[in-house]
Amino acid sequence: MGLRWSRITPQLAMLPAVAIMVTAFLGSIGWTIFMSFTRSRRLPEYVIDWDRPFRQYERLFGDAGWNISLNNLVVLAFGSALAIFVGFILAALIERERRGEDFFRTVFLYPLAVSLIVTGVAWRWIFNPQYGIQHLLQSMGFENASFNWLNDPSTAMYAIIIASVWQSSGFYMALMLAGLKGINTEIWSAARIDGVGLFRVYIEIIIPMMKFTFLTCAILLSLGVIKAFDIILAMTNGGPGQSTWVPAYFTINAMSQKGNLGYASAAATMMLLITLAVFLPLVALTAWQQRVAKRGAN
Amino acid sequence: MPRVSFEHIVKRYGNVTVLDGLNLAVEDGDFLVLLGPSGCGKSTLLNLIAGLQDVTSGRIMIGERDVTELDPKDRGLSMVFQSYALYPTKTVEGNLRFGLSARKLPKAEVNKRVKWAADLLQLQPLMRRKPAALSGGQRQRVAIGRALVKHAEVLLFDEPLSNLDAKLRTEMRLEIKKLHDTLKPTIVYVTHDQIEAMTMATKIAVMNDGEIQQFGTPDDVYENPANLFVASFIGSPAMNLAAATLTVDGGQPLATFADGSAMSLTDAPFDNDVQPDREIMVGMRPEHFVMDATGSAAGHAAFELPVRMVERTGSDALISLDFAGEHLFVRAEPDRAVKIKSGDAVSVHYPIAKLNLFDVQTGQRL
Amino acid sequence: MTDAPVMYPRKPQRIKGRSIAIIVFLSMAALFFCIPLYVLVVTSFKEMEQIREGAIFSLPARWTWEAWSYAWFDACSGLTCEGLRQGFWNSVAILGPSLVASIALSMVTGYALALWKMKWAGTFLFVLFLCAFVPFQIIMYPLIRLTVSLGIYGSMTAIVFVHTALALPVLTLIFRNFYKDIPEDIIKAAVMDSGSFWRIFIEIILPMSGNILIVVLIMQITSIWNDYLIGVTFGGLGTKPMTVHLANMVTVSTGTVSYNVNMAAALLTAIPPLVIYFVLGKFFVQGIAAGAIKG
Repeated sequence: MGLRWSRITPQLAMLPAVAIMVTAFLGSIGWTIFMSFTRSRRLPEYVIDWDRPFRQYERLFGDAGWNISLNNLVVLAFGSALAIFVGFILAALIERERRGEDFFRTVFLYPLAVSLIVTGVAWRWIFNPQYGIQHLLQSMGFENASFNWLNDPSTAMYAIIIASVWQSSGFYMALMLAGLKGINTEIWSAARIDGVGLFRVYIEIIIPMMKFTFLTCAILLSLGVIKAFDIILAMTNGGPGQSTWVPAYFTINAMSQKGNLGYASAAATMMLLITLAVFLPLVALTAWQQRVAKRGAN
Repeated sequence: MPRVSFEHIVKRYGNVTVLDGLNLAVEDGDFLVLLGPSGCGKSTLLNLIAGLQDVTSGRIMIGERDVTELDPKDRGLSMVFQSYALYPTKTVEGNLRFGLSARKLPKAEVNKRVKWAADLLQLQPLMRRKPAALSGGQRQRVAIGRALVKHAEVLLFDEPLSNLDAKLRTEMRLEIKKLHDTLKPTIVYVTHDQIEAMTMATKIAVMNDGEIQQFGTPDDVYENPANLFVASFIGSPAMNLAAATLTVDGGQPLATFADGSAMSLTDAPFDNDVQPDREIMVGMRPEHFVMDATGSAAGHAAFELPVRMVERTGSDALISLDFAGEHLFVRAEPDRAVKIKSGDAVSVHYPIAKLNLFDVQTGQRL
Repeated sequence: MTDAPVMYPRKPQRIKGRSIAIIVFLSMAALFFCIPLYVLVVTSFKEMEQIREGAIFSLPARWTWEAWSYAWFDACSGLTCEGLRQGFWNSVAILGPSLVASIALSMVTGYALALWKMKWAGTFLFVLFLCAFVPFQIIMYPLIRLTVSLGIYGSMTAIVFVHTALALPVLTLIFRNFYKDIPEDIIKAAVMDSGSFWRIFIEIILPMSGNILIVVLIMQITSIWNDYLIGVTFGGLGTKPMTVHLANMVTVSTGTVSYNVNMAAALLTAIPPLVIYFVLGKFFVQGIAAGAIKG
């Protein structure tokens, strides 16, 4: 009987993956959380500071840079939510008018294939005050046109949001398109025969039917925003000042610029907590979806 | 309720012609079943009348109105879909109301109609539920209710029972039939299930390859199939079709089978003049065979054949006889069938008047 | 039959007004989406004199490859001035092993999880699911220390290792979801026919994986090529990928900025994934669907 080997081989084959998950993920996460309770600076100190275990967190929340980062996180999340809206509109139009589907999908999705560093170069050039859009508008007679958004702390985040919406709308469009195509065509026929206006069909029937897709998009967007680093670096490098810092940027900055390991670990742990806050609904959603799917099958 | 007619309907998808010059008309209050195998064009035809697809050329009339260029909602019809197409995010009541909401009816009228449909189809206890929480039969009733509340003149059904199990299908068949008897709408009903067609229809249009093979009452289609396709498509168990050569001997038509046996067709129901010396198919329904010895009266053809197999189907038994190397199926009562074993020779008789004769070359009824 | 006169012919089909409106709207949106790429391309072919005129959308007065060749051969990134060449070849050198390692590892793991019963498979799947969303920052420093202690920090091996590790959760889930749909009976039959774990994998599973393999391959090519953070963190002198070179090149703020060179450099970095995207876009879309529904 080769039965015994057939039990052991799969487990052996999983060994590398398990090792990576245990060291690179679980162990590393635990290590970072541990570090966040120590007084580690440039080098790790393996002693928890029991007098004030939360000293790094206290410092963190007193740090203007961190508060700006959290604030920007919310701004970015709401701003980027525009991408879901745009994605749905584009998907709905493409699905309605089948002509040119491949072409439009290709165009709307290409930004996703390009490095965010490249995206940053392109958009910084567009926002360039000397030679970009601003100059173009001013030379066309709009003397007061101001597109120098990246150099103004109050508008820099919006420039990042525009670039981010441009970059990710196609992604949500692709997800929405898949969701729309999953809708039974007879639903559309029924609505046509009922003579219900298209807008009402979308609002009352189609969008409620796609609630899972929308929720998935919202959660993926939130997770993406928490991870947002490249685009900040490429667009503004955090500036002007600290005005476009986000937690991902703050953490790396604390590590590589300030060289403060305990502090960076506390920030990273906070990032993990925020992720979990978004992630847990996703777990619940998946469970819910499976339950609904099971019930629907009967 | 109006008459519905299709006039010279042509439907092409690119180079593929699905319907080519089709004509068909049903009178008001008729229950028309479009019957045929999948891909025969019956669903296309239904979508054309619904306005979900456009004709390439031709005209569709509902009553005195030419609806060819009208939007689905303006054609005055409602439809029950194969998957029911209930709006999953709305309750049963919401589903019934949604179809009416576009019509700007007074609220009292909407309430009245919804209550009427709910009572008619016993939907009252389900009104607050969502479609996902309903059984297949319940969903089906909601779908019918949604079509009825619109008081449309023409009701369309697209294989509405194909997703139900056998028992529910029988129940729903009766229910739809009852609805038609009480409300008398004009119904166009698409199915590939001949039992649905036979039980519910007042008129059947048998379709194949985008053409109407035969249009008539269920009895007509069953007893007098117009061609070989209809003969073999309608009926379960299927009609026996035995190849033979038609000759005329002294003014008397005669069919000679492959085993050399001959059958006099003097009393056979020829629709046309008999033309001799051609290959024909002799069609015999399994249930028309007579096994009694007394059946050997005049007007019957006698067969003395060895038994190949006996199959019990419950209420019936099917005896397979060896006729010129082919199966010849004979329906028998179970009591009689238990006494018959394979290898036995039995004698059966077939009434000549109930023969169906077809020209092999054209496939048409002789 | 075809000669029958056409009765009641319809008016020739026109495109409906709504269709036109939709297509016009989508085309305008498409134009907007193309603006960044367009300005990259036209600027990269312009000479600096024309760029200083400030007409960002205008076509080059004289098309020239000078900026491109300068970006490739001579532009300065940090202290070295050897153009993007080095970064390009570094990226290629990182890409190959990363692809092989990450896909092979997650494929085998996904296969084992999907088709071989293991008691702790459920727990492991949940861990994978969880870790697929973990921000890189929380494991970054421990990974640095890990690679340092393995003696590979700063080398391409380190970058390949981190790419492989980070891609593991998502890719394993994708493969597992794909293999899960293979009928269990096939595996039962294969086991009965004395198929071993590896023989079943190579003779039955691998030949069935063509489609998902292309999808994952494209996903990984774009994500590894476009990565910046891993490259800048784990790469050392002379091993950093193209994106890092590009970022250094365009953020240098000494002297006059050669925008045309920057744009050419950005395009050079973007071309490999774009070519793959435009050629194999269908699979890219499938990858998005597969990657998004990780559950």
